[in-house]
This record gives sequence, C-alpha cells and structure tokens, in this order.
Amino acid sequence: MDEKQCCVILSVQPSRGLVDEKFVVLVQSSLPSSLLTIYAHHQCEDGHSWHAFAHYTSDATGAVNVSEDCSVGGTYSGVEAMGLLWSLKPVPGSKPGLRMRKKSVQAPMMVTITVYRGHLTEGFEDQVPLASVEVERWYMAPGVRRILVTEDGLTATLFLPSGPGPFPGLLDLWGGGGQLVEYRAALLASHGIATMALDYLTCKYTMETGKIVQQDYFETAYKFLQKHPKVLSSRIAMLGLSLGTSVTLKMAAYSQVMKLRCAVCISGSHVQPVDGFLKEMLDYFCKNSGNIRITKGNEVVLRDLLLPIPTELSLKVDVGKLQCPLMLIIGEDDQNWSAYESAMDMKGMMAQAGNSHLLTLLSYPNAGHLIEPPYTPHVRASLFRSLQSRQKMMALWGGQTLEHSRAQEDAWRKLLVFLRKNLYGDVKTGASSLSNL
Amino acid sequence: MNIAHRDSIMFRANASVKAMGQLSHIKLKPDFTVCRKLAGFHRLTVRWKSNTRPAPILMAAPVRALIDEQISIRGHFLPLHCPVTVHARMHSDEGDLWESFAHYYANESGALSLTRDPSVGGSYLGCEPMGLFWSMQPAPGEREGLRLRKKNVETPYVVHISLLEGHVSPSEGQSTELAAVTAERWYIAPGVKRIEINQNRLVGTLFIPPGPGPFPALLDLWGMGGGLQEYRSSLLASRGYAAFHLLQDHPQVVSDRVGIIGLSFGCYLMLRIATKTGVKPSCLIGINGPAGSTVPLSDSDGRTEQFESFQKYWNFDDEGRVIFKEVSLPANILPENFVKLEKLDCPLMYIVGEDDLSASSIENADLIEESLRSASKGHLFTRLSYPGAGHLIEPPYSPNARASMWSIKPKKLITMWGGHPGPHAAAQEDAWKKMLDYLEKNLRS
Repeated sequence: MDEKQCCVILSVQPSRGLVDEKFVVLVQSSLPSSLLTIYAHHQCEDGHSWHAFAHYTSDATGAVNVSEDCSVGGTYSGVEAMGLLWSLKPVPGSKPGLRMRKKSVQAPMMVTITVYRGHLTEGFEDQVPLASVEVERWYMAPGVRRILVTEDGLTATLFLPSGPGPFPGLLDLWGGGGQLVEYRAALLASHGIATMALDYLTCKYTMETGKIVQQDYFETAYKFLQKHPKVLSSRIAMLGLSLGTSVTLKMAAYSQVMKLRCAVCISGSHVQPVDGFLKEMLDYFCKNSGNIRITKGNEVVLRDLLLPIPTELSLKVDVGKLQCPLMLIIGEDDQNWSAYESAMDMKGMMAQAGNSHLLTLLSYPNAGHLIEPPYTPHVRASLFRSLQSRQKMMALWGGQTLEHSRAQEDAWRKLLVFLRKNLYGDVKTGASSLSNL
Repeated sequence: MNIAHRDSIMFRANASVKAMGQLSHIKLKPDFTVCRKLAGFHRLTVRWKSNTRPAPILMAAPVRALIDEQISIRGHFLPLHCPVTVHARMHSDEGDLWESFAHYYANESGALSLTRDPSVGGSYLGCEPMGLFWSMQPAPGEREGLRLRKKNVETPYVVHISLLEGHVSPSEGQSTELAAVTAERWYIAPGVKRIEINQNRLVGTLFIPPGPGPFPALLDLWGMGGGLQEYRSSLLASRGYAAFHLLQDHPQVVSDRVGIIGLSFGCYLMLRIATKTGVKPSCLIGINGPAGSTVPLSDSDGRTEQFESFQKYWNFDDEGRVIFKEVSLPANILPENFVKLEKLDCPLMYIVGEDDLSASSIENADLIEESLRSASKGHLFTRLSYPGAGHLIEPPYSPNARASMWSIKPKKLITMWGGHPGPHAAAQEDAWKKMLDYLEKNLRS
C-alpha cells in the first residue's frame, strides 16, 4: 500500500452548515500534480442515492481547493465552490423522474464527500477512497422553534426564530403539488423571519370535504400570524411559488384583510379569473388543457396553458392596484408556467398604472421553473402528481443546470435582501433612527 | 521525500494570533473615541420595544461550529450608537450554568460586530471575537470551584446568546432582551466514530475519523484529575487524527505514525513511555508536565499511590487553596525518579504556561532542554512559553479555571491552576494552532 496516500487530508468547512451557506472543500497532502476525483454522495429520505463528482489535478504541494481550482470534468466543470451540491444527480440506474426534497427539517441532510485517485466517472463504490468526510446541511438553525398549527382550520407549520421577538412574519406557499412543504419556511426562520408554511391544497379541510379552500383560508392564516404574540402584525409578507404566486398576487392586490408589507412571487403568473379563486383558477387551466404539449421524451409541458396572455382585464390580477413592493423571480426557460410572458405583462401593467417603483424583477436566462433555495440540485423534469387529474406525469420544469443553479443562488440572496429591507428597514429609506430620540 | 505543506488553513478559519507582548494592553478600535463622545445619547430614554418595529437581529455564523472554530456574532437594526450588552449562557453537562457578557455600542448604521468592535465592559475588554466563550464563568449561585469539562462529546454545548438593552450586568436585576441567537459548539465532527475500549486492564476511548484510513494516531494522556476525559481526543479526531487512550495495533492506525500528547502528570507518563526501549512514537507534545515524579509509580503501567501522601511539598495561599507547584520542582525530585531523557529519539514540543501554579513547568522545561542538549539531542526540542497562562492549557476558547475543587473529602480543598483570562485564552488559541501544525509536520510527512 502506498503509505503516502494513507495520509491524504480532506476537509470541508464548515462541517455543519445551513443549506444556503457556502463551504470550502480542501484536499491536502496528496501527491503533487496528481489526478484526483472529488465525489459527493447523498441518500435521500426516500432511499434514493444522488451523486456528484469533479476531476481535479493537485498542485505542487499536493493540494486542491474546490473554491479556487478548476474542475476539468465530472458533473460540473470550472471553479465551482458548491458544485458538489448543486450538480447532484440520481445515481445511474435510478428510477426516472426523481426530485430531492427534504421532508424532515429537524434532521440535517447528510452528504459524504470522498476523494479518489484518478479521474473516475463510474464504479465509485468499487474504488478504495483516499479520504472521506461527512457534512451536515441544515434547513433549520439551532433555537428555531417548529410549531404545528391546526387552529382555525389551518394546516400549517410555523417556524419562529430564537429570541423574544417580535419578528416580521411571512406566509410561505408552494404550488400545485400540494402537501405541507416546510423546508423553505424553516430556512427563512433561520434568517429571523417568523414563517408559516401553509398547506392549501391537501389541507385537512379539503381532505375531509373534498372542497378547495377559499380566500378566507388565507386571510385566516394571515390573521393567525397577526395576532401571534411573537409576530409584528404590521410587517407580514407573503411568498409564493408556482400556483402559490397566483394566490399571493390575488391576495396582495384585492384582499381587504391582508395588508402585506411586501410580496415575493416565484415562477408564476397573474393570469387567472379575477372573479373567483382557486377553484375557478384550476377550472380555467383545465379549459385550456388543449395547449398541453408532450415532448418526444414524454415530458408534459404546461407552460402554454396560460398563453397567450389575455388582454381581458377579467382574466388577470390587476397588479396596477398593488400598494406594496413586489419581487418577481422567473426562469426564462420555465416550461411549466408562462412566467416570463406573465412577468413582462405585469411589468407593462405596472408601468401604465404608475406603480413600477414597487416592482423588482429578477429574470434568469436558462433557469427553469423550480427556483429553490441555493445549491438544491436542479432537475429538468420530474414525476409530478397533478391534483386535478390525480395522475402522475413527468413534468418538464426546464432550465440548464449551471445557469439554473446560479439563478437559485443569486435569487435567494436578493430575496433575503428584499425581505430584510421591507420587513426590518424603516419605511423612510435611509431614515436615521436618531429621530426616535 | 518531504512534501512541503502549506499552512494548515484547513483546521482554522480565522485564527488570530495575539502577540504575547500586547497582552497587558487593551486593544481598542479607532472609532472607540467617537463612541465615547456619543455616549451621552444613552442617557436619553430610547424606546426600544415598540409595536411598530421588529426586534433587532442577532446572528452567529457558523451557528454549529467545532470548538476550535471562530464564531462571528453580529447585530443589525439596532438604534444607532446605542449601548447594548451581549450575554452568553450555557449549561455544562453537569447542569451548572455558565455565562459571560460584554458591553458594546452599535455603530452609525445600527450594526454590531464582535469581530470588529471593542467591548467596553463586562467579562472581557477590547476587540475579542471569541471573548464570550473563553471568558465564561459559573453564574452567581452555582457551586464553587467549578471547572468546565465536557463529559459527553457526542452532544454539543448549546449556547444562548442574547442582546440586552443598555450596559447591564445580566445577573443583577432586570434586563430587557432585544434579540437572541442559539449556537452549538461541538467537540466532534460528523462521521467521527467513538469506540469504548475496555480490555487488558486498559480503559479508554478511541475516536476514529471518518474515511477509509488508516490514520496517524495520538495517545492522549491527562493528569491527576483522574477519570476519562474524551473531549480533546474527539476534537483531534475531528481534525483528522485517530486519538486513543491506549497503545496502537489497531487495524485502522498506521503503526509507525503514532504520537503522544500529555498534560500535567500525563506529560510525565508520556515521557516514560517514549523513553522505553522498543517504543518509538513519531512525536510528543507535553503541556505543563514534569519530567520526574515525587510520586513513585507502583508498577510499570504507571499506576500511582496516593498522591495525597506527599503533602510536604504542598503550599497554601491566604484562602487555604492548595498550590501543587513545588511537588514537581526538579530540586524536590530524587534523581532516580526522573525519566531518562537522553533516550528520547523523537521530536518533543513542550508547552509552558508561565503562570502555572500546579506544576513547575518552567523549571521542568529547562531541565528537559538541558538534558537533551547534553545528549546532543537539542534539535528535538521545541518550547512554547506563554506569559500569564496557567496549568490547564486546553483547546481554544475554553474558559480557564484559575482554581477549582480538588477534593471534597476528608475536607474540601480547592487547588490553584493559575492563568489570567486574557493571556490564557490567547495562549490556548496560539498553542492549539501550533500543536496542529506540529502534528501535521510529524505525523503526516
């Protein structure tokens, strides 16, 4: 056995990080100028394995620094500090259509990072590694409290940051897949925002009655946050992705109860019957189902359901009425919703109405529909159970991995700045709080 | 073939090495004088808690750290230039409450950064990014004579850090908490395996780093406090060394890359082991330990008789606290009870706390160095010497116990370890970094 190789050092700092934190992966004490493969492996809660790998050449001291050195091959190339996470893909032989989503936010995502000799592309399990470490990635910071909410007919989870508060609040909505998805809310709470993830499609009410919730369900959620002793009632925001955008825009523009401090809409549209709510929205999508396309690979493309963008004002939320700042985040390669066209139309409507100053538009070329927290592995398509048809289909989300991953990182950073500015900053920007004295 | 190593930055993010000579001065940032001028503001009533403003934010990064990693603590959205107190508290494994606090001023943007701003009062003064941790003391009302030592290394210390209104002493009366953050400090990295060893009269714990191995290894020996102290070993394993309390032969250990580290009496045991024929450690690190013993060892395994029976060298201070320093003074040790240092064949790093009240570290360091030089082995010796540091040179950012409970029966006895908070903290930080570099050089190349 080559004794020298036995002492190769691999380190990842921090070894326990939040999912949106960067890490530094370092190899030291390998042979100088040697070919190395750095390999990442993660097993999901559902048992599926994901992996990523990159090819490096160590320098004259036998070191590789993933944040500074160039990968010359693998699941990513170039200088990519976090490539080992965002380029994770299901291992060969996996069931098609997988998507990585953390269910239990109170336990970390475990990733094993290993270094091998040579430039390998397969057969990792059969190779003797040089060194290996384990890394924890957490959605939830210590001290964040997770509280299940069932009062007032809600199906929700509230995440409260550490400390006495009061905290700004946020309602967090996902899309047409339903379920109670907690991870983004846990992460936002780790950044100081009391965030409530809300299930509005498969909630207790719907499961028991078969009926879709109405506007008042969301207003109830808002009021719950308002009256919570740790939440600052005047600073509540709403964040929606996909179908969640439709709800967010509707509430932001028309609700008499919700006075949102700001809203963030990801990968969605303002196109919906203005008179009516979720049920009517879903019926409207159904009506246009003739626009659904199937690709050669049997992937379902839903983006044309809302195209062309209607001219009738009865079919789109009047964003000219908005009185709070709005951030729109869209991927220009979104194959699931016509997010780009909708964003352009919304921009035009706001310009006409004179409230453009409220709009922040982040538009990412070659990013797809699923704009998730940073370093979440990109999937161009995955199995999706549509709530209407109850069928599982392979939905095409779109996006090219590299650009999509960059978009996730950039969008998240800007989203946090936007939320912080609107939820924490003073109403008068730049106002000195010496005026309090 | 020797491979040149770059500085082992992998172990430490922002190790700040303090110049020993500056230890007696308070290092203040230039804008401290500005804060002083604006101090008048804090006498006006500033309404902090309101129903229209969210609470300020307090953040720590990383929020789950290894013990030897620096944590950066910052505050935002505070009223400008206003006085605040940062208060840290945690429970030891025994349930005792330990705490620290420091007084700061928010800057002109309402921000606070413990890596940049100076403390103007409290448990420490000046710019001390990790001051909240190493300055922790038992809270008022806790048992006397406590020393902070983690028993269960598989769980973290959970530290609650609060931002309080004004410059207050948290334990004295009411204070308003404005914000809080919780940080975890771990002695063990993910994937490090802990294996209990109990064989052939040897009791110990083996910590194996994650990965295929085999690994260089360290034998970790403590002093007279007795019991099995695992925390340094688990931390060293987290830095890539398999640490264990017994000899090698383990299949995951590279047998010719085993070092030994010994503190206090453990240092003496280490030197005994290292000078035995047939034993060739790769390197040794001795901390504040003697090269000989007044206490004869009852057998070759290093068991001792009652330490207490050699009380003639004990001294007592005005408060009746025992100082063991002279027990290990070379002049008080019989020549035949010294280790045969001329037999040493491996590098030895010896670390001295110059305010050590428990062992005659300086005198023993001198003796070891002199003995090695006489045997033409002076090149094996490296000394690190820290003014103001005491006996218990532990992993960085650990609070120093200047004194702690030694025994309860037959009567309560507190022993002096020595060391002053600031210099001792600086010594721990610097020594740890140098120890890791030394181990890397001697166990990996």
